[in-house]
Amino acid sequence: MTHKRDVRDLPGRAKRERLDPMSNYYYNVFLIMLGEFEYLLITAAAGLGENAYGAAIREEIEATTDRRCSMGALYTTIDRLEAKGLLKTWMGEATPQRGGRAKRMVRVTSKGVHAAKEFYDAVMRVSHGASWAGHRAGNSS
Amino acid sequence: MTGVGWPLVDLASRLLDRDEREAVVGDLLEANETTWQALLNVFGLVLRRQALLWKQLSPWLAAFGVALPSSYLLTYVSLSVSCTYQRLVYHRFAPCWPTGHEGFLLLLCHIILLIAWSWAGGFVVGAVSRRTLWVSAAFCVFPCVFCLAAFPFEFLPKLCPFLFLLPAILGVRHRLRNPRISLNSAFLLAVTTTALMIFAWSNDALWILNWALIWPVWYLVATARKSGQEGNTEPWRMDHPTYTRMSQR
Repeated sequence: MTHKRDVRDLPGRAKRERLDPMSNYYYNVFLIMLGEFEYLLITAAAGLGENAYGAAIREEIEATTDRRCSMGALYTTIDRLEAKGLLKTWMGEATPQRGGRAKRMVRVTSKGVHAAKEFYDAVMRVSHGASWAGHRAGNSS
Repeated sequence: MTGVGWPLVDLASRLLDRDEREAVVGDLLEANETTWQALLNVFGLVLRRQALLWKQLSPWLAAFGVALPSSYLLTYVSLSVSCTYQRLVYHRFAPCWPTGHEGFLLLLCHIILLIAWSWAGGFVVGAVSRRTLWVSAAFCVFPCVFCLAAFPFEFLPKLCPFLFLLPAILGVRHRLRNPRISLNSAFLLAVTTTALMIFAWSNDALWILNWALIWPVWYLVATARKSGQEGNTEPWRMDHPTYTRMSQR
């Protein structure tokens, strides 16, 4: 934890320099804060496991959130997360159902898992005591 | 997805990279989207991709730093060359400042300069931002169209302001097909262009703003030298410093 505190005290440029994918793992993980959609995507991909690819992730997000998920949002977010090292993608097999076109397979990296856990913990911490939080259901008015 | 709408979606998806097109169209087929929804999804992704490109400096530099100012200047050079040609060959006098006194030698000098400037400008636009070429191309055509609309040319063919476009397109094409230019070729082009510009300037046949057109030519020299230096850092080359150090151990 001392690493985390040290990095946060650094000025902007030095902090960016420490965000080297090849440098200390903990520096990177603790400095990356996910966005809401990024978290949804990582969680959906992690849940799908070996079967995680564009259409399946999109369907999972739409089913869970009951909202439309555009291809633009999906693929640009996948690219962004891959650039951050939170996801790994590759071109998979083609199926007749897809008109013989290949899938873009997605796998959450260990760094992605840590970032998602950080986000989840942060949401849980900040939600503690909120009237809509599950464990305070009895007190909500 | 209906058979009628499918070619439209397929056509729109060509705006995406090959791998991405494969994945996106496959996803749309699998999700059994309607043609309208599929088109919206594809165009949405294309727009997002383009918007992301414009977060970098290079597309702005290519469009507003090279394409727009260069095409503005080159439109006038094209007109100037056309006017001089009309005067010398057909003895028709069109009011094109700063020309009016050039002979065949200066006309030849202007034609070579026009080709060199345009080719180098096209090459640089292709080098700086390949993926936003269509925007840079639009900026190239804009001054020509403005020129045609603003000034009626009685003696000149309507295509005169567009003379620089062909060498510029060839420059872009060369950059896309062959990213490297040899240092000798780049240096020869730069020195010849500079010498011709000095010659035209000393004969009072060059607009002062045309000196701005020299930077793409020298940019070629700078990048050719850079790529030559990078060539020495290729790790698979046996004359690479790593191998030299290893053999010395």
